[in-house]
Amino acid sequence: MISLKNVSISFGDLQVLKNVSAQFPTGETTAILGRSGAGKSVILKLLVGLLKADSGEVDVLGTELGRASQKELYSLRRRLGMLFQHSALFDSLTVEENIAFPLEQQKTPPPRTEIDRRVAESLNSVGLSGFQARNVSGLSGGQRKRVGLARAIITKPEILLFDEPNSGLDPLTSEAIDALICQMKQDLGITFIVITHDIVGALKVADHLCMLDEGKIVEHAPVKQFLISEHPVVRGFLNRNVSIDDEGGIRAPTVDEIRG
Amino acid sequence: MRVAGPVVRALAATGRFGLFSSRFIRVMFQHRPPFRRALDEAYRIGVQSLPVLLTIAAFVGTNLTMQGYHAFKPMGGEKMVGMFVGLAGVRELAPIIAAAMIAAKVGTEMASRIAVMRIREEIDALSVMAVNPHWYLVTPRLMATILVLPALTVLSIYGMLVASYGVAVYQLGLNGQEFLDFLQRGATVTDLAYGAMKSLVFGTIICLVSCYCGFYSKPGPRGVGSATNSAVVTSAVVCVMVNYIISELVYGR
Repeated sequence: MISLKNVSISFGDLQVLKNVSAQFPTGETTAILGRSGAGKSVILKLLVGLLKADSGEVDVLGTELGRASQKELYSLRRRLGMLFQHSALFDSLTVEENIAFPLEQQKTPPPRTEIDRRVAESLNSVGLSGFQARNVSGLSGGQRKRVGLARAIITKPEILLFDEPNSGLDPLTSEAIDALICQMKQDLGITFIVITHDIVGALKVADHLCMLDEGKIVEHAPVKQFLISEHPVVRGFLNRNVSIDDEGGIRAPTVDEIRG
Repeated sequence: MRVAGPVVRALAATGRFGLFSSRFIRVMFQHRPPFRRALDEAYRIGVQSLPVLLTIAAFVGTNLTMQGYHAFKPMGGEKMVGMFVGLAGVRELAPIIAAAMIAAKVGTEMASRIAVMRIREEIDALSVMAVNPHWYLVTPRLMATILVLPALTVLSIYGMLVASYGVAVYQLGLNGQEFLDFLQRGATVTDLAYGAMKSLVFGTIICLVSCYCGFYSKPGPRGVGSATNSAVVTSAVVCVMVNYIISELVYGR
């Protein structure tokens, strides 16, 4: 279970999160939505212990991050995986070295054959089989995201966090990444938390949606309930164009509808 | 008010640097040393810096010899130019030139590389992957610098002396043996050891300051530029100040 209880955090005079409380259910996918600067990435950084809350409690897998020692924090992080906004790959390393990195840095790394097997497995699950020897600097944006994802899942995490998985990608690649997240969700069955401002992508991958505005959670509900929310920020995001059809599927606007 | 701002900023930066160094020292003793990466770094630093360093050291030697010769000649003391080169070059200039060179070439690279990693969230990624960034990024660089800088300093001293000997004997017509005799009066093997010891201290300063500047760089390309600039300026200033303190302790009595 992941929970935030009355969490506040400020940077200088700017209060980014104001008394935020939320629970993210285990084994399900929650997408946190909000405008730029709403505090979405700050929540993610609080969950992995990169930031400390000024007040309140952040509980991840039974560890209260405000009170956790450095050792506890590192042992918690070994149970998490994260895809960064710009992938955060090491350009001096090859694809294989990047993906193997978290395993090689463990106190007792697995044998080389096991690392190679798991790298191949991870690459296969993100659709990049045979990319081991490729140089990271020569990859496209979408491929970098996939390699970042392969690196995030190689340690078999219990929670996978995504920071703007679609940012900087063209619509087709963005769609492919969403499809990959859905596939992973099915294959791994673990808790996913996705930070995004892309409502269509969020609707595709999430079971729950959480809307953040000016440092507060203004709506947090399962997808169907979220879609009928009357909160003006939620309505603004949905833009009255996304809805659920009769069979429970997400209905995106047609070109004609968009053009009026 | 105008004075208070920079003073407070400088004090805050000193405090942050102290925290950074203490965190790093604690981490260094908690993890196994990254020998392999330290050797790779050492090789890179050594190979990249040696040609430039030898060139600079050689020309410092030639100029010291020429200036010493022309300064001492009117007093009939041109034979003492070897002692002058020993005192000024071996004891003081060679270690500080090697340090300045490493600060300019290696320190800037450390700062900019770490600053770029900070911008691209690679340092956050290390933390999230349960890898201590202080250990992963600073330890091998520090090990490499303190391994290589004393060797580079000793080599640059030899480069400087060879060039100095060449100018003294073949250009200025001094007696080679006399030059070497006076050189030994100005600088002994102990002075060479002190030079190497100084460079150990300089190496530590350059590495920690440069990595600190990279770690705490401001976002954006401007942040990388200013981190790089701060790294070289701060390292050079601190090294020159520490050089005086060491010289005072060793030779001041």
